[in-house]
Amino acid sequence: MMRRLLLLLVLVSSQTVWLWAQDVSLPLKPGSVRFAAIGDMGTGEPAQYEIAQRMLEFHQKFPFTFVIMLGDNIYGGKTPAELAKKFEAPYKPLLDAGVQFYASLGNHDDTNERFYKLFNMNGERYHTFKKGNVHFFAIDSTYLDPKQLAWLEKELAAAGTDWKICYFHHPLYSSGAFHGSSTELRVVLEPLFLKYGVQVVFSGHEHVYERIKPQKGIYYFTEGASGELRAGNLRKTDLTAAGYDKDRSFVSVEISGDDLFFQAVSRTGVTVDSGTIHRPTEVQP
Amino acid sequence: MLRTLILRTLVFVMAAGAAACAPQKVAPTPESPTFGDFSQRLEQYLKLRNALPNERTTKSREQIVDRRHALAEAIRQSRAGAKQGDLFTPEISEQFVRVIRGALQGSSATNVRKTIRQGEPVANIHLTVNGAYPEHLPLTTVPPTMLLRLPQLPEKIAYRIVGHDFVLQDTEARLVIDFIPGALP
Repeated sequence: MMRRLLLLLVLVSSQTVWLWAQDVSLPLKPGSVRFAAIGDMGTGEPAQYEIAQRMLEFHQKFPFTFVIMLGDNIYGGKTPAELAKKFEAPYKPLLDAGVQFYASLGNHDDTNERFYKLFNMNGERYHTFKKGNVHFFAIDSTYLDPKQLAWLEKELAAAGTDWKICYFHHPLYSSGAFHGSSTELRVVLEPLFLKYGVQVVFSGHEHVYERIKPQKGIYYFTEGASGELRAGNLRKTDLTAAGYDKDRSFVSVEISGDDLFFQAVSRTGVTVDSGTIHRPTEVQP
Repeated sequence: MLRTLILRTLVFVMAAGAAACAPQKVAPTPESPTFGDFSQRLEQYLKLRNALPNERTTKSREQIVDRRHALAEAIRQSRAGAKQGDLFTPEISEQFVRVIRGALQGSSATNVRKTIRQGEPVANIHLTVNGAYPEHLPLTTVPPTMLLRLPQLPEKIAYRIVGHDFVLQDTEARLVIDFIPGALP
């Protein structure tokens, strides 16, 4: 009896700590665009479910309407049962709450995931969508062929003066020890980002959280620890503005007018990074 | 049962449509005019492939997997006699290898090699034409600067790097169409 009471007490107190720790630092402005970003999550392991639970708790205070997926959405086998275990089950409460998921493909994904309706890819390897004054561009960085690059340039050019956020799996800048920066992809993509005024980029692949100091005026985030984790994998480099490699995490984002507010939260509900990005009027050449 | 039904339908549609279907043109690559014969061979494959129904988005996980398996089976049956070198003939392979190795030795060689390494390359896989690309294995990034120098492919087909081999893959069926053994050093 005593053991049960003790267990209950521990469970209640740990839940309280989470709720306390998971304070929302985002401003919740009326009419803002609100979303979360997760990457390298599709393991089906308990840690993925725990992050999904933290996201649900966060959603109750900060009702984000969609989630961008930074690739490696489904690791390993791709049977229907595994797709359920690695996506539908962990995020069911969010899906039931009407939260939409917009996937990009990682190197562990099957390109046929683009036909899965709940990933909102409309049957395309790369796609774009708009929320409020924000254009999102989901790129397939595993297979960046000339056709895709031409598509990206056309879509970026058509996006006008809205916020432009690109997301894809392989990070152009990273302090991760396992992979590091994808320098060849950078050679191809960065000129387009600069030419058309992309302000923010999200990637995964490295199983850590990292926010990079602005590079040529562009803000880069890596969130590759929403299921997988390489603990202690962040090297000390001049690139890092903030990083977290001790546990899993996800990022929440709010965009209102010319301001982007972000908050990265760990598996235990602790805020590991937060801040504001003011949209620059133009990026450096 | 459902799988059998889909498979039968696909095989029927494939057989009936292949002859009538107009071939999809493979985009020419101005820098590599010598790949012409490859384009013609690929068009023969696309004649078969384009006779199959297009995939549509669905909420059904089962439908996606069933269709992939049925599609793969239909292609296997239609290309039962296919063998390594049907598309990548010795002459065409030589041209591909020259471009691939050129990319690995040029001024951007360091970046190209790093891109392949970062894609978590898989080795020691025994490839076979009409064989499945194992679903639990990652896809190695094909360096974009290498893709710029190779013939462009339609959306359902992709180049892959598997260990030292260079592969032509049907992405929806996840089948190996052909490959060049030892194309990468």
